Amino acid sequence: MWVYLERDGDKRLKDVGLELLGKARELAQKLGNSEVGGVIVAGSEEMAREAIYHGADKVVIIDNPDLKTYTPMEYAEAIAQVVQKYKPEIFLIGATKRGRELAAYIANTLTTGITADCTALEVDPKTRDLLQIRPTFGGTQLATIRTPQRRPQMASVRPGVFPKPQRDTSRTGEIIVERVEIPTRRTRLVSIEKRIERDIADLPPVESADVVVAGGRGLGSAEGFKLLIDLAKLLNGTVGASLMAVRAGWAPHTRQIGQTGKTIRPRLYIAVGISGAIQHLMGITEAKTIVAINPDPHAPIMENADYAVVGDYKQILPALIEELRRLKNQR
Amino acid sequence: MKIVVFTKAAVPLSSAIRIDPKTGTLIREGVPLTANVWDRDAVEFALKLRDRYGGEVIALSMAPPSGIPALESLIGMGVDRAILASDRAFAGADTWATAHVLAKTIEKFIPDYDLIVTGEETIDSTTAHIGAQTASWLGVPYVYYVYDAEIKGRTIVVRRFLEDEGVDEVYEVEMPAVVSVLKGSQVPREISLSRKLAARERIQTISNKELGLDPECVGLRGSPTVVAGMAPAVYPPRKKIVLQGESGEVARKLVEALKQEGIL
Ligand SMILES: Cc1cc2nc3c(=O)[nH]c(=O)nc-3n(C[C@H](O)[C@H](O)[C@H](O)COP(=O)(O)OP(=O)(O)OC[C@H]3O[C@@H](n4cnc5c(N)ncnc54)[C@H](O)[C@@H]3O)c2cc1C
Ligand SMILES: Cc1cc2nc3c(=O)[nH]c(=O)nc-3n(C[C@H](O)[C@H](O)[C@H](O)COP(=O)(O)OP(=O)(O)OC[C@H]3O[C@@H](n4cnc5c(N)ncnc54)[C@H](O)[C@@H]3O)c2cc1C
Repeated sequence: MWVYLERDGDKRLKDVGLELLGKARELAQKLGNSEVGGVIVAGSEEMAREAIYHGADKVVIIDNPDLKTYTPMEYAEAIAQVVQKYKPEIFLIGATKRGRELAAYIANTLTTGITADCTALEVDPKTRDLLQIRPTFGGTQLATIRTPQRRPQMASVRPGVFPKPQRDTSRTGEIIVERVEIPTRRTRLVSIEKRIERDIADLPPVESADVVVAGGRGLGSAEGFKLLIDLAKLLNGTVGASLMAVRAGWAPHTRQIGQTGKTIRPRLYIAVGISGAIQHLMGITEAKTIVAINPDPHAPIMENADYAVVGDYKQILPALIEELRRLKNQR
Repeated sequence: MKIVVFTKAAVPLSSAIRIDPKTGTLIREGVPLTANVWDRDAVEFALKLRDRYGGEVIALSMAPPSGIPALESLIGMGVDRAILASDRAFAGADTWATAHVLAKTIEKFIPDYDLIVTGEETIDSTTAHIGAQTASWLGVPYVYYVYDAEIKGRTIVVRRFLEDEGVDEVYEVEMPAVVSVLKGSQVPREISLSRKLAARERIQTISNKELGLDPECVGLRGSPTVVAGMAPAVYPPRKKIVLQGESGEVARKLVEALKQEGIL
């Protein structure tokens, strides 16, 4: 049971790898305590120790100075070589943008199958098959996929699907440094730069926030988002938007929620001036609690909410903000 | 420049989906298939390169015969010709088996290709596997999420965007290569109706007779992954508690309820 541990720059690992170590640990127990391993490309011992604290028994650091910078084909080749050598039954990859880029190439090199974007993983102790469960058709269906004939069985999982395990500094494990040779480079990084995106507020991205307050066409103007931002800040959350609000230019597309935007799983979702079209609902089906604020009691979002607040947001939001401020001052 | 652009004849989300109960795979026969929306970005990207550097754009799809209209629409956009890899033996393919057929078709029918351009992902199964798997089958480099490119001799310099890191990267890639195009990054050109209507003669259909692939390595039989079950996703039913009235009162009730739920 092995996991690809993607680096987050030169200093640390991305959370998704640690999340997968937690899941791998759980599945390994069900298979009679099989080993949990991790692979880091051009990482440090400190990163490997972090992986061990989060559930790994063994961590391989691929040591090749040529792999300091990421390029897809070369990384995929190197990872595939290590997987080939250690022969795990199961190999999991975090479906970040880079992870999605690497995953299928690695699987192909290992002549095995791979299931994309699983939201649940189980094992069948009898066949030792990994049950790879993924939503399809815009979240309306759940498919269970197996890879009965080939090993390793591979799956990718989006960040945030599984909880990050507790960090336990008493855990010990083995750190192995592998010198992996790669074929002559055919992809070279020329430059890398952070994009300065004009955002409406200095708030976290929608996919990582516990509380998301989203606005739609019903806000009527960009001005309306100011109230949403105030509310989001009070709730330690962030703001999101419907496609129509993005089209109107009131929010950047990175904040769009739904079928062609982000799928989110916050503890609290507040939809303001959003009608609740199916394409929008697809992005929030896994929100724990949904609040809708809309003057139209028959808007689909109201049928799909835990709390359907009938009214004009221009009246409801200031009252709600005042109430929350009062609560905060009490505590 | 010889550019191959991939397209999947995808099931539009609006249509009712039917799943084969025996194999758990999607029934594509008898469903009106359209070119995957994000492949239009790929086609636009490929056509722009051709318009700038000359050459030919060839669309390639593995699909049942009902995939022909999808190819016709791409020819309507300006693609020069198309190949449809179509055989009963290809049905039920997972991404491994799909990429296998696509790669072998290229090796046999377009061996002198310079570049393969794919969409970022499909609208109906969204794995984003095919580009990387095809690169692996062909043993060529690849880059995803590309939105701009320039040809410099035998290399292509691509600019791409990683949305989750908010980072732009520029790579120099030796050709032949595979790139996938960032969805929504292009403004696809209009379909010319007259071109589309005359498209049929620009489509070449090939079957496994011409390809000669081992039937054990294509379609459902050749797929390492097996759909073992399909069920409608069940989501937690919503409470549907309606709050109505004076806004101060409504706000108090809502905050009280969220406190009860342990959210506040
Ligand atoms: C292929 C495809 C993909 C799509 N993907 C997405 C997607 O990813 N995300 C997405 O969001 N949409 C998506 N859509 C669009 C979707 O179908 C809807 O058109 C869109 O979600 C509607 O946005 P909206 O709710 O903001 O606007 P509307 O549907 O116009 O709703 C506005 C709502 O605001 C309410 N309102 C009016 N005044 C007030 C007020 N004063 N206070 C409070 N409420 C008020 C109205 O009653 C109404 O319910 C997609 C569509 C297609 C075809
Ligand atoms: C419900 C369901 C879930 C599935 N899950 C998986 C899975 O997790 N793993 C798996 O291996 N298979 C899976 N499949 C099978 C998979 O959908 C098919 O193999 C499909 O033909 C290619 O995958 P995709 O649509 O995800 O393409 P993607 O990899 O998302 O497509 C990327 C690009 O590749 C090109 N492309 C894709 N398909 C074709 C084609 N047939 N012809 C030409 N170009 C193409 C297009 O340019 C497209 O934009 C699933 C199928 C279903 C019905």
